[in-house]
Amino acid sequence: MPRRLSRSSLLSRTSRRHFLQGSAATMAVMGLSNCRRTIGETEPEPADSSTASAEASGALHIYTWADYTDDELAAQFTEATGIDVKIDVYDSNETMLAKMQAGGGANYSLIYPSDYMVTEMIGLDMLAKLDKSRLIGLDKIREKWKSPVYDPENSHSIPYSWGTTGLLYNSEILTTPPTDWNYLWDNSDVLSRKMTLLDDVRETMGAVLSSLGYSYNATDPTELEEAYQKLLDLKPNLASFKSFGWQDELLSGDLLLSMVYSVEGIPVSLENPTFKYVIPESGSSVWTDTMVIPTSAPNVDAAYEWINFNLQPKVSQETVERLFFATPNGEAMTMLSQELLDNKNLFPPEDLLAKCEGIAPVGEANALYDEYWTKVTSA
Amino acid sequence: MKNSGFDRIKAEQKPKKLLALVVNWLQAIFDLIWRWLSNLARPIGLLGPAGIWLLLLMVLPMLLITELSLVPGLKPGQPIAGYGLLNYLRILEPTYLQVLQRSATFATGTTLLCLLLGFPVAYWLALMAPKRWRNLLLVLFILPLWTSSLLRTYAWITLLRSSGVINLVLGALGLPTQSLMNTPWAVYIGMTYSFLPYMVLILYASLERLDLKLLEAAADLGANPQIAFWRVTVPQTLPGIAAGCLLVFVTSLGDFVVPTLLGGPSSMTISRLIYNQFLGVARNWGFGSALSMVLILMVSLAIALLLKYGDRNPEIYS
Amino acid sequence: MAQTISPPMVDTAAALDVELRDVIKAFGEDIAVQGLNLKIRQGEFFSILGPSGCGKTTTLRMIAGFETLTSGELTIQGKSMNGIPAHRRSVNTVFQSYALFNHMSVWDNVAFGLKIRKIPKSDLRQRVGEALTLVQMESFAKRYPNQLSGGQRQRVALARALVNRPAVMLLDEPLGALDLKLRKQMQVELSNLHQRLGITFIMVTHDQEEALSLSDRIAVMKDGRIEQVGSPNEIYEHPATAFVADFIGDTNLLSGQFLAAETCPLLATESGLQVSLPPTDHNDITDIDVSIRPEKIHLSTQTDAKKPANHNNCYPGEVKHILYTGPHIHCIIELATGEQLRVLQPNHMRYQPGESVYVSWAAVDCQVLVAHNPPS
Repeated sequence: MPRRLSRSSLLSRTSRRHFLQGSAATMAVMGLSNCRRTIGETEPEPADSSTASAEASGALHIYTWADYTDDELAAQFTEATGIDVKIDVYDSNETMLAKMQAGGGANYSLIYPSDYMVTEMIGLDMLAKLDKSRLIGLDKIREKWKSPVYDPENSHSIPYSWGTTGLLYNSEILTTPPTDWNYLWDNSDVLSRKMTLLDDVRETMGAVLSSLGYSYNATDPTELEEAYQKLLDLKPNLASFKSFGWQDELLSGDLLLSMVYSVEGIPVSLENPTFKYVIPESGSSVWTDTMVIPTSAPNVDAAYEWINFNLQPKVSQETVERLFFATPNGEAMTMLSQELLDNKNLFPPEDLLAKCEGIAPVGEANALYDEYWTKVTSA
Repeated sequence: MKNSGFDRIKAEQKPKKLLALVVNWLQAIFDLIWRWLSNLARPIGLLGPAGIWLLLLMVLPMLLITELSLVPGLKPGQPIAGYGLLNYLRILEPTYLQVLQRSATFATGTTLLCLLLGFPVAYWLALMAPKRWRNLLLVLFILPLWTSSLLRTYAWITLLRSSGVINLVLGALGLPTQSLMNTPWAVYIGMTYSFLPYMVLILYASLERLDLKLLEAAADLGANPQIAFWRVTVPQTLPGIAAGCLLVFVTSLGDFVVPTLLGGPSSMTISRLIYNQFLGVARNWGFGSALSMVLILMVSLAIALLLKYGDRNPEIYS
Repeated sequence: MAQTISPPMVDTAAALDVELRDVIKAFGEDIAVQGLNLKIRQGEFFSILGPSGCGKTTTLRMIAGFETLTSGELTIQGKSMNGIPAHRRSVNTVFQSYALFNHMSVWDNVAFGLKIRKIPKSDLRQRVGEALTLVQMESFAKRYPNQLSGGQRQRVALARALVNRPAVMLLDEPLGALDLKLRKQMQVELSNLHQRLGITFIMVTHDQEEALSLSDRIAVMKDGRIEQVGSPNEIYEHPATAFVADFIGDTNLLSGQFLAAETCPLLATESGLQVSLPPTDHNDITDIDVSIRPEKIHLSTQTDAKKPANHNNCYPGEVKHILYTGPHIHCIIELATGEQLRVLQPNHMRYQPGESVYVSWAAVDCQVLVAHNPPS
């Protein structure tokens, strides 16, 4: 799942709004419950949450994104293993992290952090090291995800879904289709005030870095400076930085091109052939969402059951067909319908995929990214 | 031996007397404490719950944020290394000052627009609308507040975009079209629309209590309606005006959904900046806390200023 | 029926400050003022008196300009006020609730009207100072209305109106909110002010004593109509209707049939009482009311059986109640025929309830009033 978004459901956007508004309250609660000298140094306190304690009934509590599980999946699991499943949802990694750190997630045996969040949570000692001997079907994972940069050897996480970032454009008006990031700069007269970029510093800066031939995860200040300047050059022609809310304008023709996440771009392109989703040639970002077992998990056995269940190719294939995200499960892929497989956007070719980078933490350079971003969105 | 009986009794009584003395003394003290507590009990009982609420959810977090703001470059998970004013000094950089200034401009502009638009509406509602319809009209005006503000902002996208409803109507009438979408003007429109009902409600409450006899007296003394308005109505409703402005200013200062959705690429506001520090890539809680303190300061200044106007010569108002 | 009873000396050449002709004011279905005719002379202290809801305040508001006329004409100093709003009339009002601007100081309140008319600063200062001195509020200039007592506020309201030197001063129950002592004091002050300034004062009140003591002329109103207009003496001594007689001061009302006899007309009540009446030209009336003021009735006891010579009405009666009011005592005497009369006596007299007495009064003190049978 990309940084802050879930699928196209408006509901999740509303809840995101409430999250944005409620972050102050969250901070307060976080601050209070972590009222010690070192902030963030927590042992997840056993909180008595309203939901029933899991161990006693043997139920499995899952904390996940809104569109990754549905009732059918849960029902299938219960039928197969006899374990009850309770699902809670969140719409951003930060929300999930906040809840876990505050102790409110003591019930959850399984959570779904995104790639960068996995690295962070490993650093915070919140994730249990996975006992590979208990896992079945790990070999079916595609090569690219066998040892991802965010969690080498998948020692703490199992990749579950992935997607890319790309350009969604109006193919009727843009008769020369975009193939790469530089299209935006080369065609800024046509696109003037009719294109949007993602309101996400790492994605947008990363895209510009990629267009300059640098890595998405660059830390060299000169490279970042160059990217910043290039972005500034483009800015007068930008309509806005929007991660959501571009649909109306794009569909009506007021916008010609938007940088979007695949989970939102691909459905639009499938519903309306006028709009096409393309992954730039020089490489875009690829994100991965994973399954992890928190160290505070009450029902570790059930968690392993769930992971194994989802690793089954058949299950993976059915879920993909129902819920429509890309799976890293190689064998499941072979079982998918040809139509889905042919969808180059959903499953881009290997060579293009190789050029896509996962967004990794950049350590000290974070401050620089933030500063440039503030400058770009403020000047 | 003669006094042995007495001696014995006396000897027995001595400790008893001593005991009695001590007991009396203790009783007196307890009584005093009890009375002191009882005197406190009522105010504590009444203020207690609110006081605890304020303490836990306002005072303590503010103290925490103040502490964090004094730690330069504090990251979550790091121990506190040392204190310093670096975070605050950083705010003085032009990049960040610009963000502050933008937020203040948006908030001030929205407040003024709400006042200019809201006062006539509230005036009409309170003093000119037929009494029967007054409540209904008021409800109708407040109705938008019942919908999600995010949805309302989305609606403005549909209205304002180049091929949107407004331009369709303008085009049909042969008038020049507008291109306000993704500009600061769209932000003003969106925020004014969002907060206008609050302003109208507060002004309505103030205008409703206006003593109409004062307006008659003004007319009697030779004031035409305009003069009566500026010299009587406005000063009389000044507390309401101040309260309305305060509410709109403070809420619009903290709003960042409207600038994000309707504003253009340069729409970074202070609340968004704070958000980025805490939950974005920066993870610089020290800087974020310093920014929060500055935001609190801006709000406090606004409160102080507007309260001064709203509460002028309190003893002159009955 | 609207009765315009002119005073004995009709001076048609006297300048009229305010004139109302056939004025009607209706609020929707409710007719507050019906066919009003009023002529108020320049410089006089004119009161409009009546019970609540009789339309007196509405009339005043129409003169001020706060209400429009449904029909009829209103002229001030000869100029028609049709279409002229309140802020352009040379009329100033003292409101019942004073309506002081509580966000301004006393000084600013009084200066308000002058500032609007852009009176030059030096003149303004002088006039405001004068006005405040006139009402003895000079030392309160910097205070705010909420720091003043009721009486002080009333004086500020007066000053605020007077400073503009209006042609006509309107006062809407100005003393209603004050306690008795203060009211009496203010009545004297009002009277003094009026004499000093010579402006026409039109006062609306429901306090008949106030109206009687202050006014040059009074209009008594009831249900939107004028019952009588006249000087206080006329209104009191010669009330035109039973309502006026009863409303003004105390009175004894007897009703019955009019009998024209050789010597003098008579009132014959149902109970058998016969009262001698003064001579009158109107012999065609049948049902009448007779009003006798309590102070006109003489009381004689068995021991002191003296009565004035001209008291041709003399009847025996019994003392029922004695009411001590301070300066007088009111005796309620019940006649043999059952009527109860109120008699005024000096406070040193002593009567016992149940005592047999004689009441007597002169025929000429009987005020004959035509009995009204208002259409139902």
